[in-house]
Amino acid sequence: MPKTQPSIFSAYQRNPALFDEVFDREGSILKDYKRLMKLYGKQSIEDYHELNARAKASFFNQGITFRVYSDDKTNEKIFPFDLFPRIIGASEWAFIERGAIQRCKALNMFLWDLYHDRNILKDGVVPLDLVSSSENYLDQMRGMDPPGGIYNHISGTDIIRHADGRYYVLEDNIRCPSGVSYVLSNRGALKRALFGVFNHYKAHTVTDYAENLLDLLETVKPHGVDIPVTVVLTPGMYNSAFYEHSYLAKTMGVELVEGRDLFVENDFVYMKTIRGPQKVDVIYRRIDDLFLDPMEFRKDSSLGVPGLFSAYRKGNVTIANAPGTGVADDKAVYSYVPDIIRYYLGEEPILANVKTYRCGQPDDLEYVLEHVRELVVKPVDEAGGYGISIGNTLTDEQVEKVRKEVRESPRKYVAQPILSLSVHPTYIEETQAFEQRHIDLRTFTVMGQDKTYVLKGGLTRVALRRGNLIVNSSQGGGSKDTWILKNEP
Amino acid sequence: MSELYTITYQAENAYDYPVVESSWQFLIIPEENASQSKPRIRFTSSEGSPWELSENGFGFPVIRIRNRHSLESIRFEAEFSLTKQVVNPFDFDPELLEPYEPQRLGQLPFRMRFDNFLKSTPLTCLAAGAPVFSFDPGTGILENLQALNAWVFNDLKYTAGITHVDTTLEELLVLRKGVCQDFAHLFIGIARAHGIPARYVSGYLHQGMGFFGDAQMHAWVEAFLPEVGWLGFDPTNNIMAATNHIKVAHGRDYNDCAPLKGVVYGPGGNRSRHQVQVASQQ
Repeated sequence: MPKTQPSIFSAYQRNPALFDEVFDREGSILKDYKRLMKLYGKQSIEDYHELNARAKASFFNQGITFRVYSDDKTNEKIFPFDLFPRIIGASEWAFIERGAIQRCKALNMFLWDLYHDRNILKDGVVPLDLVSSSENYLDQMRGMDPPGGIYNHISGTDIIRHADGRYYVLEDNIRCPSGVSYVLSNRGALKRALFGVFNHYKAHTVTDYAENLLDLLETVKPHGVDIPVTVVLTPGMYNSAFYEHSYLAKTMGVELVEGRDLFVENDFVYMKTIRGPQKVDVIYRRIDDLFLDPMEFRKDSSLGVPGLFSAYRKGNVTIANAPGTGVADDKAVYSYVPDIIRYYLGEEPILANVKTYRCGQPDDLEYVLEHVRELVVKPVDEAGGYGISIGNTLTDEQVEKVRKEVRESPRKYVAQPILSLSVHPTYIEETQAFEQRHIDLRTFTVMGQDKTYVLKGGLTRVALRRGNLIVNSSQGGGSKDTWILKNEP
Repeated sequence: MSELYTITYQAENAYDYPVVESSWQFLIIPEENASQSKPRIRFTSSEGSPWELSENGFGFPVIRIRNRHSLESIRFEAEFSLTKQVVNPFDFDPELLEPYEPQRLGQLPFRMRFDNFLKSTPLTCLAAGAPVFSFDPGTGILENLQALNAWVFNDLKYTAGITHVDTTLEELLVLRKGVCQDFAHLFIGIARAHGIPARYVSGYLHQGMGFFGDAQMHAWVEAFLPEVGWLGFDPTNNIMAATNHIKVAHGRDYNDCAPLKGVVYGPGGNRSRHQVQVASQQ
């Protein structure tokens, strides 16, 4: 057994072709993890197994669960959690943070432009058809100024590390990105289980997220409001992320409401309370655009509030994220983000983009149809990892099916080379051992008026099935606590 | 010269079981524009509920009502009076009319200005190769649109009760029967496919001349002619929209112009009836 490898890692098998976040190519432990390995090394795998079981029970007892839709019966599941954290050093994080802010700012300017002068379309940097054909572009938002000029208040930027060691942005989530509650509860669970390890590291806190979120949402309150009343609008307890909605409302100290708890009168929004109507100024909504207001969008929506959009149009309420932001996180727009950054900010993108083939373009379409096996083909408008096909895992029959679907509606698909996501030692229950598993990182950026905040942490998602590349929780992924180290003094 | 119009709109909704809370939105107020004066509005409901004026997402005025008590049926009655200037649809310099040149229409600044009225919607989407009217590049845009108006009028037979508000063009081209919104959607689908911006218009039609479309709200089309502007075409009657057409709103298709939207909380089905009358005095 090599000297650097503590006992709980004795069975760890390192595939040198993959980028391991903890070990370098020679198998030595990387600097930031050395102390952690020493601490964990004192435990036996049996101890670890027991701690893991306790942490799991505590998640379940607290109701930190989510729902999976594709099962025949929908089940409450706990989000599998791993007590071995991921560590990101200070300078590496500074780079990620600057990159995330740059992207979010550029996307916000892009959205403003799309709904106002449309210069980027006039200049031919982004094709008009891409925007006109997007189901997420809301004509109702044309010429509307959202309070504070902000569209994407909350962004979830998904970042991966490729085998080349570089960080790449996989996608921007700027509709209703979820997952932040897991960041906070993972930290809580790790503290309960292994409090001692925190004494040996200077990691940034994540518990200030709710406070910062509320603070920044209040900066974009409607004009003329002194102390705004903020609410979290949820589709209800059957939504996969209901736990998160209630958690955020609770930690921000604001009400959690469903559409039927609100009403609109004379273009102002009110919440029904036992003390009578209470005016609402800022709505952190976790329901999709088309369900917001049955008078304006989907008339069969029972989740929304009749008249809400009129109140918004009049400037009497702030909706975060703004309706219509979805047009900019469309996966076909993704490939233009580097150009969007250059266009509005005059800067080179800090974080790299993954090469993306737009099936709507004839040349790209031809390439994709011929190389399905080497590509990841994704629908442009699905979230949560649904509908993705990874070329090297497909049967001949499935390849034909993908080709047929792409040929029938090319605009609906993009394709990317199959990336090799970095791996991280992860405790696997079935084998009671640490194994390499692919990971990504969702960062959370909150933009207010003249103020931006990036959560110093993030959701490291783990693909629990060996070799699986899809890390979304709805596809059976797990997660890890993510530590961002403070600069050593 | 002008007409003085009085329009009455009545609606009745009945529910199988009492509904506990309900909201309605009416997109029925005549638009104030160059030929239409600001209307005087009278509105009542059988429940005596207060109503409020608001605007929909495209800035058209709507009447909104919210009821907080249980009810099994409710009636609404609105009355609008306004003056309408006599409209000559051809009141422009014929020199300005342009030939039909797809290439010029396809230029980016033009497509960008009107992209919301050029893109297809689920209700105006034409399948590739659908057997429909095709523009003649040898003549002008106006001639083509007038020919299209006549083609739609002759192709569909006005028949109530066959189609519904969600009927697609694909279904319509099989049925070949429908009401005003179907005529409008077909016109729009064909015009847009030829690069002409076209929008759905809802409003009232002054009867008395044997036109189709009485006793209900009417629908027609506005198409954009470069250098001239928006012109109204009524394919249900194969005429240009003029003094007898009182416009309420326009949008990408019917869904942007639905006259009545209701949201009720309660079980069971509902029945809904509408009636419209347009009276004029000179």
